[in-house]
Amino acid sequence: MRTNIKKAALLIFVYLLIMIPFKVMEIIPGFTDIRPVTMLGPIYALFTGIPGIIIFALMNIVGDIISDSVRWSSIAGLIANFVGPYIVYHYWIKMKKTAPDLKTMKNIGVYSLVVFIAAAVQMAIITPAVAVIYPEVDSMLFALSVILNNTLFPIMFGIPLIILMKEELGYRMIDVISSERKGKRAAGAVPVTEKMERDI
Amino acid sequence: MNRLQANLCLLCVTLCWSSEVIIFSCIPDDVSAFATTCITSLIGSILLFFGFMKRIISELKRNRNGYIKAGLVLGILNLIYNLMYLIGLNKLDVSTGAFSISMTSVVLPVILLTMRQHVETKTIISAFLILVGIMLAVGTGAESGTSLGFAIMIAGCIIRAFYIVILNKSAREYDPVVLSALLSFIVGIIGFVSWFVSDSTTFASIRWTPTIIACLAIYSYFIVSFAQTLNIYAHKKTSAANATIIYSLEIVFSIIWGISMPSDIVTPVTLSTRIAIGVALIVFGNILVIFERTGRRAVDAN
Repeated sequence: MRTNIKKAALLIFVYLLIMIPFKVMEIIPGFTDIRPVTMLGPIYALFTGIPGIIIFALMNIVGDIISDSVRWSSIAGLIANFVGPYIVYHYWIKMKKTAPDLKTMKNIGVYSLVVFIAAAVQMAIITPAVAVIYPEVDSMLFALSVILNNTLFPIMFGIPLIILMKEELGYRMIDVISSERKGKRAAGAVPVTEKMERDI
Repeated sequence: MNRLQANLCLLCVTLCWSSEVIIFSCIPDDVSAFATTCITSLIGSILLFFGFMKRIISELKRNRNGYIKAGLVLGILNLIYNLMYLIGLNKLDVSTGAFSISMTSVVLPVILLTMRQHVETKTIISAFLILVGIMLAVGTGAESGTSLGFAIMIAGCIIRAFYIVILNKSAREYDPVVLSALLSFIVGIIGFVSWFVSDSTTFASIRWTPTIIACLAIYSYFIVSFAQTLNIYAHKKTSAANATIIYSLEIVFSIIWGISMPSDIVTPVTLSTRIAIGVALIVFGNILVIFERTGRRAVDAN
């Protein structure tokens, strides 16, 4: 339990560390929505699974609160920021049953494609909500910024970070963690069975 | 990490470095380069220290002198070539400055050849393509009276080339995280001494605004902690010459920023046929190096 709390605290800390400075400053005048923090979506999904995805989605609302930009569309933002990383998680962990192996160009291409599809779905969730609630917002520009933020950062910075974490720093992806848990459960079941057999 | 992955990491590092100019555009001109170097390097080293405390302490206990020696050599070389760039750029116009900075990718293979070290034929071809590409994209544009500035820049490039060769060697010998943390710390201390000499009020001289703090924070974790550590890890699996070839993409990213960003952030660039051909040659030279092996061979190299 304590380990899980520590992990959650670490995920929240890293998210805030990357998000807050970009919320505070306006790097390009007139275009405030640069969100490198989106690179964490696939990383949280692949290294921590559903808990990480939930934290990622909730932190998006926290970011809106910090920057005083909580609107009705933030609900769509919350859903989209859950769904996007979940698509990445679902593709590898549920469908392919293994975490991405970014060792070849083909695999890197597949990862990039999945990230792009996830970004397109996120765009399809957020943009209509923003367009309905705020008709004055340029929907096309907004949709483009959602797609770019959720595709470019997870690819340009996310891929090297995944390589660094998995290959060099020894972090285990969720498929390995899950199989280890299953193995432990199975190992734990043996003595119980043996005990039952002895009892019989 | 295999060689393909290392090359992709170097690509990311180059992208991070090229975005320095965008981050720094939010910092007022009265904040000196020594101040930003000192603050960002020290914060970067603190972040790395707290992130990998056990690892750093145990590695330093194991081989403290080796790490300190490597960190000092790299830190001092880093200071020297950056100072030379600073002096040289003051004497040159923007395009000549950019051209001469990019020359490291050409200088390094030449240095390796003179040291009788093996350089792959593809790397030499890439270096040549990049040289032509840089000449087209940026132009030599050397005006009369700029030869001293150009000479200083080339000397800076030579020192940077040695820095990259030593970094490449150290990355294979030492733990990259520890080396990165130590290098940041040493660069931070050197930056502080230089800052103190030039302005004894140091931290009190800065008008701390949320924007400045945000800029320094972004620079600290993106460029120092993340990019520098990633760079050292990538050097473990690739050659110094290949790494330098990939660094040359910085000029391509700078041109992209110049075309797409507002003029108050970066020097504006108008896309012309000459620039487009130059950029294409640099990119092609890089493709030769980055994707030189097929996926299977890249996996085999792991």
